[in-house]
Order: sequence, then structure tokens, then C-alpha cells
Amino acid sequence: MNEAALVLEQIRTPMAGSPHVLDVNLRIAAGEFVALVGPSRSGKSLVIELAAGLVRPEAGRVVLLGHEWNDTQESEQTPVRLRVGTVLQQPGLLSNMTLFHNVLLPLRYHHGAMPERSREQAVMAQLDRLGVAPMRDRFPAELNQGEVRRAAIARALILDPAVLLLDDPVAGLDAEMVLVLKACIEARRAHHPLTVVAALRTFSPFIEAADRLVVLRDGRVVADGDRHAVAGAVPESLRRYVQ
Amino acid sequence: MIEWVGRRAIAGYTYLAALATLFTQAVLDLVLPTRQGRGETLRVLVRQILFTGVDALPVTTVIALLLGIIIVTQAGTQLPRLGAGGLVGSIIVVTVIRELGPLITAFIVVGRSGTAIATELGNMSVTREVVALRLMGISISRFVIMPRMVGMVLSMLCLTLYFDVVAVLGGYLIADAQLTIPFYAFVESITKALSTTDVLMTAIKGLSFGSAVAAICCYHGLAVRSSFTEVPQQTTRAMINSFVLCLLIDVVVTVPLYL
Repeated sequence: MNEAALVLEQIRTPMAGSPHVLDVNLRIAAGEFVALVGPSRSGKSLVIELAAGLVRPEAGRVVLLGHEWNDTQESEQTPVRLRVGTVLQQPGLLSNMTLFHNVLLPLRYHHGAMPERSREQAVMAQLDRLGVAPMRDRFPAELNQGEVRRAAIARALILDPAVLLLDDPVAGLDAEMVLVLKACIEARRAHHPLTVVAALRTFSPFIEAADRLVVLRDGRVVADGDRHAVAGAVPESLRRYVQ
Repeated sequence: MIEWVGRRAIAGYTYLAALATLFTQAVLDLVLPTRQGRGETLRVLVRQILFTGVDALPVTTVIALLLGIIIVTQAGTQLPRLGAGGLVGSIIVVTVIRELGPLITAFIVVGRSGTAIATELGNMSVTREVVALRLMGISISRFVIMPRMVGMVLSMLCLTLYFDVVAVLGGYLIADAQLTIPFYAFVESITKALSTTDVLMTAIKGLSFGSAVAAICCYHGLAVRSSFTEVPQQTTRAMINSFVLCLLIDVVVTVPLYL
């Protein structure tokens, strides 16, 4: 088996707004595309936040790219953060910057020595791949939800991360844009080793790109495996999330 | 009652410790050499200086001129009745340069920029922009707090000195027009009364007020958690606490001079 990119070991932690406790054990190999699926309040977003080091579990440990979040101070996390692209449900584009400058920011901040022209070309290529290049001079408040989400994904990919954590990446995207996003992720994975963990609340063609589906309900893993195996293993009520 | 006082004392101490930590981290970010994010941080700093310093010049000019006019009118009409007409210069130095200049400048900066910082950071917290910055490996202290703090401290210092000069000029205008005090006599009375200590005091107050206001406003802005209704609440707290802390610092700096 490949080296693990993400390990959630013996995790037990309360879920906000739910009487249930997240209780999971997950090992995601490097280069794997894992879709976390299930109804609302099943613990998908919490898994993403744990993986991103935003939440510390009450019990258990989270290891991302060999780095255990529990053991490190905020100031020591930067090297790992540079290898991880994360887009949460609220994408958090900076409201006082245009879409172009939002995507340019991580490059300017972390690659100060890179020529400005190269940085701008990289940003435009990324925006173009996700179909938001025409909106480059718009501010986030002027964009629709799908455009904001795609811009946030462009920003998450701009530093060539080894791991991409996506919380509800298809929210607000029309059918065509879901396919554009899927194609973009697949193209990226074809050329670079990229581990993708995506939380999805509805079935969409995006799921077809996943190597593995993890079905969650009430904080527990109900089924884990490839799409066909999972479709046969989950109860009828959860089948609509995988088919 | 004792329990309540104890709890408030602990809360006050914790609050001041948090402000001190925020300030210390910002100073460390300023002085520790790193190439990471230097250009972007400089952009934020320049924007902060433009907003807090340059954009505040018109309102500072108006208030300083009016204050100078009011003080010299009062001093110029009341002091001669007591046979102390020659103390006009001393009055300007003591009231404007030592006391009101730094304080009123601080109040202007709190009202204009301090509240703006608290609101901006509060909104950034609610819309998860702060979390997004963390996730991109961008230091909140280096990219968000430090440039705002440095920008505010530099702007406060310059605005305080500017306020003093304009207030004295306003005083001269009324002294010349209404009290017929000649220019050289006005300048002489001020230069006689003004000492290096006065200039140092006004500078120290400008720096201290700027640091306190910036730390308080950043702290309250980042204290917003999950709702937009928290933003005005934290902004109000930031404003009130800034006023109180500036007055406390003023007392701490001023009183030992007269002991």
C-alpha cells in the first residue's frame, strides 16, 4: 500500500449541533481521491477540519503528510500548510481583493523571489482552467457562489499542493461547471501526485472521479470502498448519495 | 462581592496580558528578519498609513485649528484680568502640546481608524477570511496585525505632532486678529514655555496611544467568532476600551512629571 497522506487514528470528538460523536478511523494513501459522502451533520466537514488542523480531536491523532497536528504549535505549521490546499464550505476569499489578487496572494506571500510576470501567468492559467478568468477583476461580492468556489479552488491549487481538502466543492456549481472542476482535478492528478479528500452532500458526476467513497452517518463510517462496493453495502436510505 | 471583584480583576489582568502578547508578537514580527511575505505586508502597511494618517489630515486640521482658537481666546481674555497675560504661551504648551494634542488625536484615530480596524477584522473573522489565511500558511500576526499596528503607531505619532503645530497656528490666528498680540511676542511666549521634555512627552504619548489603540482594536476585531451581530458589539468595546486605556496611559505618563 502507498504511504499514507492522511491518517485519522481512533478519532473521537463531539460534533457541533449534533448529539452524536465523530468516531472514525481513516487512512488515506498518497495520490488517492477519497469522497466523504453522507447526509448533513454526518461529520464530513468535521473530518475536513480535523485533517486541516483547524480542530483538535478530544481523543485520537491526526497525521497529515507525516505531520501530527496535536504536537505542533501554530508557528511551526507553515511548511505543512504550504503542501495542503484547503477550501472550506465558506471559501474565505478576501473581500477587499479582486479574484485575481486573491489567487495571487499565496504566490506573492510565499514566493517573493519569483518574477511578478511568472506569478501572474500562473494565476491566469489557473483561473482559465477553472473557467473564472473573465471575472479576474471582480471582487468576491460581485461573484456568484459557484464562481467564488472555483476561485477558492484555484487559490488552493496555486501552490501545487500534495493534498487537496475540499468541503462541498460542487455547492453552487451548475452541471457544466461540475464537469469542468472534475476535469481540472483529474488533469492535475494525471500530471502531479495529488491526494484529494472531498466532502460531498449530494451525488454528482464529481464523485465518479473518486477512487474511494467513505459513507458517513451520525459520525460513524457506514461503508468504505470503491463506488460499486459501497453502493451494495450501504442501507437503502444512503444509496442516493453514491448512485 | 469579593468574588465579583476577584473575577473582574482576573478578567482585567487576562485582557491586558492578551493585549501585551498581541503587541509583543507584532514587534517580534517587525524586527525578526524574514523574506516571507515582506512585499505583501508592506502593501498592507502603506494602505494603513494612508488611511489612518494621510486621510485623517483634513479632520485633524479642522479640529486642531478650532481647539487652538478656543484655547487662545479663553486664555487671551481671562489671563490679562488676573495680570497673567504673559502666560498665554505656557497655557498653549501645557494644554495643547502636553495634554490635549495627543489625547484628541488619539480620539480622532480611535473614531476613524480604530473602529474601522475592529470592524474589518470582525467581518474577516465571520466570513472565515482569517481561517483561510491561516490555511494558506499566512501568518495572521505578520500579515494582518503587525502592519496595522505599525501603521497606526507611525500615523498617530505624526498626527499628534501635526495637531500640535496646527493648534498653535490656530491660536496665533486668533491672537493676531482679535487679541492683537504680535507674531514675534506670540512665538516668543511659546518658545520660552516649550521645553525638550514637552516635545518628548507628546511623542511618547503619541507612540503609547497608537500602540494601545492598535492592539485593542485588532484584539476585539479578531475576538468576533461566528455572527455579524458580534461585529458592532466588539467595535463598541474596542472604542470604549481604547478611550479608557489612553486616559490611563496619559495619567501614568503625566502625573510623575509633577510629583
